[in-house]
Amino acid sequence: MSARLLRVLASRWTRLVLVASVLLGLQTTLLNDMRPFGVMTQVMVLFAACAGVVYGAEIGAIAGLVIGLMYDCVLTTPLGLASLVLGATALVAGVFPYFVRESSWWNKAIAVGVASAVGEILFPVSQAMVGLGGWVQWRVLLVALIVGIMNLFLAPLLLPVTRWTLKETLVG
Amino acid sequence: MSAISAKRKRAIALLSLTSIILITLDLQGSASTSVLRGTFGVFFRPIEGVTRVITRPIGNAWHGITHYNAVTRENDLLREKIAQQEGAAVAAAASVRLSQELLALNGLPTLAGINSVSAQVIGDSPSNYSQSVEINQGSDSGVKVGMPVMNAAGLVGKITKVFPRRSIVMLITDPEYALSVKVINNPEAATPINDPEASATTTTSTTTTTTIPTTQATSNIPGFTPGTTTMPLTTVNVTVNVPQLTPALTIPASGNLPIRETGILEGRGPSRVPIVRFIDSAQRFGTILPGAPIVTSGGSLSLAPPDIVVGTVSKVNDRIGTSGPVLEINLVADLANLSFVRILLYQPITEQVKP
Repeated sequence: MSARLLRVLASRWTRLVLVASVLLGLQTTLLNDMRPFGVMTQVMVLFAACAGVVYGAEIGAIAGLVIGLMYDCVLTTPLGLASLVLGATALVAGVFPYFVRESSWWNKAIAVGVASAVGEILFPVSQAMVGLGGWVQWRVLLVALIVGIMNLFLAPLLLPVTRWTLKETLVG
Repeated sequence: MSAISAKRKRAIALLSLTSIILITLDLQGSASTSVLRGTFGVFFRPIEGVTRVITRPIGNAWHGITHYNAVTRENDLLREKIAQQEGAAVAAAASVRLSQELLALNGLPTLAGINSVSAQVIGDSPSNYSQSVEINQGSDSGVKVGMPVMNAAGLVGKITKVFPRRSIVMLITDPEYALSVKVINNPEAATPINDPEASATTTTSTTTTTTIPTTQATSNIPGFTPGTTTMPLTTVNVTVNVPQLTPALTIPASGNLPIRETGILEGRGPSRVPIVRFIDSAQRFGTILPGAPIVTSGGSLSLAPPDIVVGTVSKVNDRIGTSGPVLEINLVADLANLSFVRILLYQPITEQVKP
């Protein structure tokens, strides 16, 4: 029983929840106040995209769904919406390893930036799909562009964190 | 390897399905999603609190760098405005007081008759696609879903989610927000009509003297106690114009009372100003001009009590046919810099939860 509990505690998913909690704290405090060009940096989208780029579509999608579910709990949009959006974002980012065999850090950063921009566009689209209209405007493209660029620059910082977080075992 | 992949695919399907079920439950207004959010909040608030303390110096440095010039400029402007408005505020306060006493005497609802709770804004929505703020008062203070929220300037939004010690306020600019409002147009001056049969007008002035005794104001509106009307015995000279053989016709200016027209205010997101729709195409008070004040219309089905200031008309977009004009609104409340707000303990009938 205790061995099983230890295994659960040491699993990548427990680490994911803990790291995502810290990042969510940053999202709701510091990044909420700092809005360059009036747009908020989306660190949760960044984390999901990094998971996809580093570990591929499957692990990325699971990580994105979990990160999104946590993000949902602090948003005012229907619970589960951000989960699907971040799951899809990670899935999009997870396509990257299929195309680039020997990827460098800046390749990955660009992939994270593009996936983040796609994720940011998916937010208002999904809101419209569940009946929360009014957000699909031209401004969305500008927001997506800014979020994509900011996440491109932040990706080199978060890629090693994501690699450590989702590592299957910390030993070896 | 394929077994692991199948397991992961099952996990993805399960999580996606859970998300879809949660969306459905939340859109149906299920209490279970609120419980989930509340439970998550219990664990997450301490983490958020610690992060806020740690990151505050970084945030302050950022604001110091990016907003310094704007703050200095704003400070100068505000000093000038304060100097201008100090005198006007005293006169306005007296007028408001008199107006509320009059409304109370006539048994009409007033804002003064509605209790309120003050709250501090503790956070914005952590999303680019939501116009809401979080405040530090909740159901423990009597706050309920649907209650209108205002600041010193005017209407800010409405409560959409309530937790024991915090609430979420949907701002007026959110595309989901809609509220019935009325436009107060200043009446035009008396319009003389040329009548060929009646070209000359003669009036005589009669002066009447009326004595008004001191009255004790009373009110049957719960929560509102009008002050004593300290009106001493006064002699008022009233000049009455008595027309004699009135050959010319003059249309009176409705006693100089502002005339109103109702419509629906809708938010359109942070980058676009709210608009008012469904204004009658043939307004009985004539053309709506920029600058006309917009206030809440009130009524049993309205989300807010009457006469809360919302903003002023900034632009009138006329439309073809019978559809009335669309008005663009300049909000009086600065929604980008909210610090303290007041929640009116007024729950609209439409937002009341049936037991």
